[in-house]
Amino acid sequence: MSLRRRKKDLTFWEKIYIPEIVKGLALTLKTMFKPKYTVEYPEVKFIPPASYRGRPVLVMEENGKERCVACGLCSRVCPPLAIFVQAAETPDEKERYPVKFEINMIRCIFCGFCEDVCPEEAIVMSKDYELAFSSREEAIYGKDKLLTPIKQVQDRINFLRQYK
Amino acid sequence: MEKLTKDDIHPKILEALMRTESRYTVEDALENEMILNMGPQHPATHGVLRLLLRLDGETIVACVPELGYLHRGYEKMAENMSFYEFIPHTDRLDYLAPLSNNVAWVLAVEKLTGIEAPPRAQYIRMLICELSRIASHLVAIGAFAMDVGAMTVLLWTFREREKILDIWDILCGARFTNTYTRVGGVANDIQPEALAKVNWFIDQFDDNLKECEQLLNKNRIFIERLDGVGIVSAKDAIDLGLTGPTLRGSGVEYDLRRAKPYLFYNEMDFNVITYKEGDCLARYFVRIDEARESAKMVRQILSKMPQGEVRLNSAKKVLPNKAEVYTKMEELIQDFMIVNFGINPPAGEIYSAIENPKGELGFYIVSKGEGHPWKCKIRSPSFCNCQGLPLMMKGHMVSDVVAIVGSIDPVMGEADK
Ligand code: SF4
Ligand code: SF4
Repeated sequence: MSLRRRKKDLTFWEKIYIPEIVKGLALTLKTMFKPKYTVEYPEVKFIPPASYRGRPVLVMEENGKERCVACGLCSRVCPPLAIFVQAAETPDEKERYPVKFEINMIRCIFCGFCEDVCPEEAIVMSKDYELAFSSREEAIYGKDKLLTPIKQVQDRINFLRQYK
Repeated sequence: MEKLTKDDIHPKILEALMRTESRYTVEDALENEMILNMGPQHPATHGVLRLLLRLDGETIVACVPELGYLHRGYEKMAENMSFYEFIPHTDRLDYLAPLSNNVAWVLAVEKLTGIEAPPRAQYIRMLICELSRIASHLVAIGAFAMDVGAMTVLLWTFREREKILDIWDILCGARFTNTYTRVGGVANDIQPEALAKVNWFIDQFDDNLKECEQLLNKNRIFIERLDGVGIVSAKDAIDLGLTGPTLRGSGVEYDLRRAKPYLFYNEMDFNVITYKEGDCLARYFVRIDEARESAKMVRQILSKMPQGEVRLNSAKKVLPNKAEVYTKMEELIQDFMIVNFGINPPAGEIYSAIENPKGELGFYIVSKGEGHPWKCKIRSPSFCNCQGLPLMMKGHMVSDVVAIVGSIDPVMGEADK
């Protein structure tokens, strides 16, 4: 191939190097006028697709209650052991609910396994990717932060039903 | 820089450095030969690789790579978790091609369990393997060019790689730590948008790669810094156990995709790229050509991809379908059993390897019939390729060190495990 050169194959003009520099500069200059592929992040936000695995959240039904039945499967499968669930009984139809449900967002690796195994479609990955904390305590998300109205995660649930 | 004394160097390393008989001193560097400590915090060693160089003037007399700065004990960790839970950990081995590692791991587990994923899942796996090969080679080429002083190419190859990461974003929802494959299939079917994006990427990839090549292939500085540097003969390469582009750059035609076809590689039409010179430039050419070859293969995969299931329907071995878990009792129990006790493969040992971008990535698993491996050994290509460094370095200049390290493209996450 003509492009493959070794030292001995270089022509006189290529050895002089000056014309090659000019050619290279012309090429880089040309690229300057091509459309940019970067996004100026804080001003322009990245909008994730439905398949995006952001922060895991608990699905809240329209009646304001969580779907979770505190079976503990998600906390069993979670590879970095980020989930803590404590169950209690409830007179509702589902019989059990989590009194305490915590995800340690410092430990979470966003693998999506919790969502993969949940038998109730109760925990799903949201599109939230802007996570920052100033202390370790703050990073432990309880039920107050995890519960998300089902409308906000409908996108993801549709994706799961269609492709998983 | 602080002065190195004899006590700072591990006795074994010191012995290896001093094996050739000659005058030396560690205490007074200027007097005779000197020991130079390069890394682990060195921008050009591609991660935390530490190289101890014994120098005579500017010429390298001996070189000892020291590994282990990124050791996280993955082999031991594998013994304490189920086969399923280990999938995210494989992302963090070769972090430039996480999907390849995912595929390697599940193929090993499937071989141990004696199951096989449906054809569509296998085609998807092939697709992601080839795309991640392109992504990894792009980083290798860009970083390699930057090691020898060309900055622009890095930005361009990263732009191309960014497009592949965008495909991952649509396909599996994460750019880097993908965790996409599952035992018995893949996590989710490939969406039409992802396929469209792959098509678009492949169409424009060739021109963009050519642009990068134009900056390097006739560039006198680039060529003169690499031509004839770090030569490994075919025999030495085989003896040292080098694999991947490093081996093929020495003229050995060995590629697991051809030698021991896995997935559906026996149906693919591709060339195994070899260059006979065995120097840094040859390894660079191998990577460029392999990226093209992979793009060619992606086209074939797209045209041949069959329809159908992406996850095997096998009770006790594979997580059941979600829709059935929600409605049926049998599947619900299965879901609980697999998560709690794992898939229990029959007792035995297997070795399964695939051709990763860096070389042969193999998993050796010993099972005692439990839900977790009894022992797991990772044969990582970067680790084995680093063995070639002492041989390649001998007789070259200090400034060639970065070129040689860049040309074998080690990823320390994988070398240190
Ligand atoms: S797996 Fe689902 S239902 Fe079970 S505890 Fe976790 S979120 Fe709740
Ligand atoms: S996404 Fe993964 S790491 Fe995070 S809570 Fe779920 S299972 Fe655990």
